[in-house]
Amino acid sequence: MQPSLAPRKKELFFDVKWFIVAVIVALLLIFQVFPLLYLVYRSVFSTGKFSLEAFQRVYSYPLNWGALRNTLVTASLSMVFGVLIAFPLAWLVGRTNLYGKKFFRTLFVMTYMVPPYVGAMAWLRLLNPRVGTLNIFLQNLFGLQETPFNIYTVGGLVWVLTTFYYPYAFITISRAMEKMDPSLEEAARISGASPMRTLFTVTLPMMAPSIVAAALLVFVSAASCYGIPSIVGAPGQIHTVTTRIIDFVYIGSQEGLTDATTLAVFLMLIANVVLYVSTFVVGRRQYITVSGKSTRPNIVDLGKWRIPLTIAVALFAIVIVVIPFATVAVTSITINLGKPLAAGNITWRFWERIFTRKAILQSAKNSLVSGSVAATAGIAISLVMAYLLVRTNVRGKRIPDFLITMGSGTPSIVIALALIMTMSGRFGINIYNTLTIMIVAYMIKYLLMGMRTIVSAMAQIHPSLEEASQISGAGWLRVLKDVTIPLIGPSVVAGWFLIFMPSFYELTMSTLLYSTNTKTLGYELFTYQTYHSQQTASALATAILLMVIIVNWILNKLTKGEFSI
Amino acid sequence: MASITISNVTKAFGDVVVLREFNEVFHDKEFVTLLGPSGCGKTTMLRMIAGFEKPTTGEIKIGDRVVSGAGTFVPPEKRGIGMVFQSYAVWPHMNVFDNVAYPLKIAKRPKEEIKRKVEHILEIVHLSQYAERFPMQLSGGQQQRVALGRALIAEPSVLLLDEPLSNLDAKLRESMRFEIKQIQRDFGITVVYVTHDQTEAMAMSDRIFVINRGVIQQVGSPTEVYRKPANQFVADFVGTINFLRGEVKNGRIELAGLGQSIPYDGIYKGKVVVAIRPENMSLLPTDKASLTGKLTRTFYLGDVTDCRVDVGGGQYLRLVADSRSYDSLTEDQELTVYIDDFLVYEDDGREDHTKIIT
Repeated sequence: MQPSLAPRKKELFFDVKWFIVAVIVALLLIFQVFPLLYLVYRSVFSTGKFSLEAFQRVYSYPLNWGALRNTLVTASLSMVFGVLIAFPLAWLVGRTNLYGKKFFRTLFVMTYMVPPYVGAMAWLRLLNPRVGTLNIFLQNLFGLQETPFNIYTVGGLVWVLTTFYYPYAFITISRAMEKMDPSLEEAARISGASPMRTLFTVTLPMMAPSIVAAALLVFVSAASCYGIPSIVGAPGQIHTVTTRIIDFVYIGSQEGLTDATTLAVFLMLIANVVLYVSTFVVGRRQYITVSGKSTRPNIVDLGKWRIPLTIAVALFAIVIVVIPFATVAVTSITINLGKPLAAGNITWRFWERIFTRKAILQSAKNSLVSGSVAATAGIAISLVMAYLLVRTNVRGKRIPDFLITMGSGTPSIVIALALIMTMSGRFGINIYNTLTIMIVAYMIKYLLMGMRTIVSAMAQIHPSLEEASQISGAGWLRVLKDVTIPLIGPSVVAGWFLIFMPSFYELTMSTLLYSTNTKTLGYELFTYQTYHSQQTASALATAILLMVIIVNWILNKLTKGEFSI
Repeated sequence: MASITISNVTKAFGDVVVLREFNEVFHDKEFVTLLGPSGCGKTTMLRMIAGFEKPTTGEIKIGDRVVSGAGTFVPPEKRGIGMVFQSYAVWPHMNVFDNVAYPLKIAKRPKEEIKRKVEHILEIVHLSQYAERFPMQLSGGQQQRVALGRALIAEPSVLLLDEPLSNLDAKLRESMRFEIKQIQRDFGITVVYVTHDQTEAMAMSDRIFVINRGVIQQVGSPTEVYRKPANQFVADFVGTINFLRGEVKNGRIELAGLGQSIPYDGIYKGKVVVAIRPENMSLLPTDKASLTGKLTRTFYLGDVTDCRVDVGGGQYLRLVADSRSYDSLTEDQELTVYIDDFLVYEDDGREDHTKIIT
């Protein structure tokens, strides 16, 4: 945006935009900033006066140290592996003549919208050290003495975290790669650099900021993940910071809550540092390389490597996406999980159960309601924010933007914990044990996804398009109806689903915030998986998977392939 | 020796043929311009010479070396070519010095040599004091010079330029034209220049290749292309021209719908199209052909006066009169237009070449 050179006119009259900004900021202050600040306060003032006693207690307990170490180790390794997988994949899918690259792209991006715990459920079945399907298959194939893999290890945890968080890096890196002007690479080639040399001297350095951003995103997501370590880690006594926090909260005592808080502060610190680095250090270094003319992206001919590489990517997709999802689907119709899937071992009763059992239906309804409300309210705020950010110069518009970004960067578990401690009546607001607290939590966590979508759609509409309508005689409402809404409509729908879907199957925050009457689908699935019936959980997971695929397909159609979740 | 020999080259993307049967030789030290409207295939030709596209059929030689042809394909980095891209393609993560030095670093030249040569080139492109700057701190024109310096540093015998001036403002464009031409002379290199701007093509080229829809329309020096356009497309695309339909009868061309005629003793018979450049008509009496009409509009352009004359039948002529005539001319006045020179083409019946230029 060009800064205006003319001196800013003093606006003394009351501006309605300030009011809107003020309202949004006020809501954010009450429901997000205050709880998070209180969390920090509480961790050092647990006894009423300043003390680091809680820290001392928590961090001197070996189990917690183990959890801390596990979190850092698994998140770091997932980050490294995630980027190592994502970069070549993004390059192959975006810049080469790989066969079926559109299909692969859709497949990898789609994994992004699948709840991580589904992956954990699948790999649990596949790599269980005694009965894991894949383990036994590999054992027989190579005639091994024992099964080759054990999922209940740090390695297993890293594996599942990587397979579920590499799409975050894939999406970030793909986007940066698409935006890069291909003639920058061509210039290196014509200067005498081989394709390899070009990759290392031009492509990689130019992509570096995006790669760092992608890596940090994977790190913080893996570190704050609860679903995967709770399913994969717990049976093997592998604790992480998130599982420890939940354990402490479940103790129910004030001391437990304090201990949870102290651990949460650690997670929050990591997340805030990462957020700061990726916004202000890496973000500043992003090169704007918009091409002078719309050349077709420079497609690299893989030559004799085309077929081998296509096979490699296909194998990767089969192992990472197809097998886990198929496993979950198959589990949902298996009677006896110890036996192979055969005619006598197939049943639809678990599917029947998820559509008939009252408790499940009630939870599904809760999730549907809270997801829809969060998405709708979120989109309303997103629209206002997008308008303020893109179309106006109102002072202070960056404040809510900053706060929303910060909220989304905060680990779910930290948000939930902060809300529990502040929204249960102690400070005049009691929404604990209601769906409202869920909705608030979902909005803090997922609002940014919707807002980004709408802001970027709005930014692409040049104001002259609206002005042209205005000059043709249309009032602002008519402009909205004839120009703005048709142009950003698809993005609004996409944004709605981007808030709705993760809220609908959310697990981490729901685990902390649920009450008897406000259980959610994610929580229901989790308890079935852990305590009652893996098959029922799998049926639910498969249903969610199908939903993700359908929504994805609709969005693709709706935005003509431009947008999918 | 760095001639470029293009034999029977065609290029198709899928079913879309973008270039048909290209058969030309660009001579050593020649300044060749590929001129045509967007989508005519000129950039594709350039990218095939560079090695960024493979010809569908045919062969390309640089000097005596086959770079693209049956069974052989030399990748861009092995062709020893300099190239300036339309978007400049100056690397944002390197400063000016490193951008320009890049080709020498790839060639593993000694440090002192790189330093000396880069400094020399930066002087030529007037960027000496900007060596430490990063591209983001430079103007478009300066980035352009960085790209030019980088393309020249390895002393290539062939320099390719893909619409290098199209993102610059008018004044800068004019001065860069001179500089590019000067550099070509000083370095003694073969230049292939792609543009859709006929003025650029006229100003710099030894030979112009006018291309339309993947087919070469005419090859010639700027004067040949301008004065003797091979067909109506070239006449229309290079410069400004008026087209009038007519029929040859008894040593005259009777202009359709005008009820007027002009003398003609050329080779064409039957239906023809008469093409007249605006500057080849005047309001001062001569003994050559003339048409009468009504002056409908005059535009004062400073150096000349641009006039529209209604010659009947709903057809208008555009002509340029000298600057001072603006004061004496009044709109709606009847006048006689004297034609110093005109071109005649056979009428192929196509409408798109005989539209009135406004």
